[in-house]
Amino acid sequence: MAKELIKGNFAIAQAALNAGLQCYFGYPITPQTEIGEFLSLKMPQMGLGYVSAESEVAAINMVLGACSTGAKAMTTSSSCAVALMQEALAYAASDELPIVLVNVMRAGPGLGSIYPAQGDYYQTVYGGGNGDYRMVVYAPSTVQECIELTYKTFYTAHKYRTPVTLLADGLLGQMMEPAEFTPYPYPEVDSSSWALTGAKDRGGRTICSYGPDEQKQIKHVFSLFEKYKLISEREVMYEEYMTNDADFLMVGFGSLARNIKAAVRKLREQGIKAGMLRPITLFPFPEKRISELASQCREVMTVEMNMGQMYTDVRLAVNGKTKTSLLNIRPVGEWMSVEEIVDAVINSTEKVYASI
Amino acid sequence: MLVFETPKSFKKDFRYSFCKGCDHGIAIRLVAELIDELGLKEKTILTTSIGCSVTMYDFMDLDCIEAPHGRALAVATGVKRACPDKFVFTYQGDGDFASIGLAESMHAALRGESLTAICINNTTYGMTGGQLGPTTMMGQITTTSPMGRNREYYGYPIHIAEQIAMCDGTAYSARVSLDSVPNIRKAKAAIKKAFEAQLKGLGLGFVEILSTCPTNWNMTPSEAHEHVKNNMTKTFPLGIYKDVTEE
Amino acid sequence: MEENFIFAGFGGQGILLAGKILANAFMLEGKNVTWYPCYGAEMRGGTVNCEIVVSNDEVSSVHKKDTDFAIVLNQLSFDKFVSRVKAGGTIIANSSLVKTLKPRSDIKYIFAPITEIAQKLGELKTANIISLGVLASACHQLTTDSLYKAIDYVLPAHRKNLLQLNLEALNLGFGLVAPQAV
Repeated sequence: MAKELIKGNFAIAQAALNAGLQCYFGYPITPQTEIGEFLSLKMPQMGLGYVSAESEVAAINMVLGACSTGAKAMTTSSSCAVALMQEALAYAASDELPIVLVNVMRAGPGLGSIYPAQGDYYQTVYGGGNGDYRMVVYAPSTVQECIELTYKTFYTAHKYRTPVTLLADGLLGQMMEPAEFTPYPYPEVDSSSWALTGAKDRGGRTICSYGPDEQKQIKHVFSLFEKYKLISEREVMYEEYMTNDADFLMVGFGSLARNIKAAVRKLREQGIKAGMLRPITLFPFPEKRISELASQCREVMTVEMNMGQMYTDVRLAVNGKTKTSLLNIRPVGEWMSVEEIVDAVINSTEKVYASI
Repeated sequence: MLVFETPKSFKKDFRYSFCKGCDHGIAIRLVAELIDELGLKEKTILTTSIGCSVTMYDFMDLDCIEAPHGRALAVATGVKRACPDKFVFTYQGDGDFASIGLAESMHAALRGESLTAICINNTTYGMTGGQLGPTTMMGQITTTSPMGRNREYYGYPIHIAEQIAMCDGTAYSARVSLDSVPNIRKAKAAIKKAFEAQLKGLGLGFVEILSTCPTNWNMTPSEAHEHVKNNMTKTFPLGIYKDVTEE
Repeated sequence: MEENFIFAGFGGQGILLAGKILANAFMLEGKNVTWYPCYGAEMRGGTVNCEIVVSNDEVSSVHKKDTDFAIVLNQLSFDKFVSRVKAGGTIIANSSLVKTLKPRSDIKYIFAPITEIAQKLGELKTANIISLGVLASACHQLTTDSLYKAIDYVLPAHRKNLLQLNLEALNLGFGLVAPQAV
């Protein structure tokens, strides 16, 4: 199939259909509304479940219900509305339900603005729900990755029976670029051992998070974290760019990484051995690789469009091995330009040499 | 010989967990009998929600999902849209259905979801120990309305069956009580109608069941049933508020 | 090397479509390209814009502070974007609706009576295509041929009858510039 100019939001919507989406529940919010619009046309034609929910709270709970039957179900939303979904996500983590949530980030806190930002790192990666749970998070950087990681999101959610978020941003949702709808590459996951299908030829199944028995609840939480450990061992994804001989590492995620990459190229032209690591999974975080690279770098700079949220994870990964810094000229709106990033690195580099 | 049996859709090893004199036991039994009689067990998916009603899944040998507080009809909508051939019903309390979950309840009715919703109205939050809820009656004393419900501080109770009946997507809406054998029979007939509304694909079937909460009302079981008969039915008149199942 | 273009004008002037045609033209030539629109509340005032970035490498910033080319079809857009043209960059303005003033001396101005030409052609909706023709004459990366191919690619089967009209519009736009460039 040839490449076509595809908008990020449409890429996600069509990829979800390709992945076998059976039910969609959503509520409009800029900058992701096109996903629901597109699916509202396609899904009824395909005889699939589509509901314009009365709220994001309802939408995510509809997904919870659909997922309890083993169905591939999804909701899509943005930042302040994803905040409304946190309760159900905690339930889904405990219920071990394969919820697929797409968050096309806008700026916060609160209503914020519709411009792109990366301020939902904490909300998404650490979760805004209660109790001990983790959320697997994929962060695409291009429209092509919106397609591939939507596929991955569905597969991982069902393979590990856990809620998974695709964390895009307004820029990625709204932009178009040439991309290709490769076919869904993953096998179907059998849900027959747990899904609610009616108690036929077996006893009734109950999916619930309520554990009145203390010992059972302790065991349950431990088992969830055994699963997260497994995911951490197997599912880490990241992209490295010119890191081989790099002595100045930048770490950034999502569409902002495009600008960081270009900055790396410019810095190399100026003789600075810059490199980039882009976490594709935000949980599990590529801490091992960052730690390795930290050993060869004089500085690890986190570049993000927020007040330093992923910076927390980067610092934990570097763990004092080398200097860490944060570049976040603006927390909202226009992505930091290539020039701004280059200037910041040169500035930082000069400071280092001045101090020697 | 007439033998009083446990419904087949009950778990073999269920343990009765409600307070003495609580009507949940009767309501759940009626539902279970109907599931048996209509042969629905193998295609049923039950959604319970938070409150005393959640423990229904401890009784029923059915596939069941617990919804977050108030979201039973949203979760049930998801189940039904994923599996339109299943029989899907919700079992909730009045606080769950008509306070925190009013939007989800009302919109399921407005969409005319092919679902059955059962709401136990005992005019209080039972599990948390008897606080003022959306259905607490005027003058009623609860732990958060110690002087009794009044207009100035608390406003008025909601009439759920009437409100749900006003939704265009509702196929059946009734209010019943369990304070006497004839009323228990009527309650069963109403639940059957609400089941049929779904089975015929007519829209939402809804039954509000006036129930006792002797523990939080500080009454004996028989006093509680007298209270339902003499007081509650005055605020919440029994009756069928909408029925298009015969049209 | 990256080059970027901003199209701006009233809603209904085919701004987003012009941008899409340009992006498709670059894509069909095998270049890396992105298209990024204004969206949400920004569009509610009736003005609309989009930005196209073309690159031999992966496209870096999809949305930049400044631009190599601004193609503005109304006065509001001229006022908004003239300051965002890079020094040495070009602004193409629809002189039918934009005053021919030059607030900066470090950029090139092309004033073309795009709306009038569209009216003469008998179809006001061709203004965006005419502006693409003008752009083709000013941008060395672009030819009317590649734009024509992109239009053919974008037009759905039942609209192919519009190809001839669009070709005329492109050529009219392309021919406008030489005598008018300043």
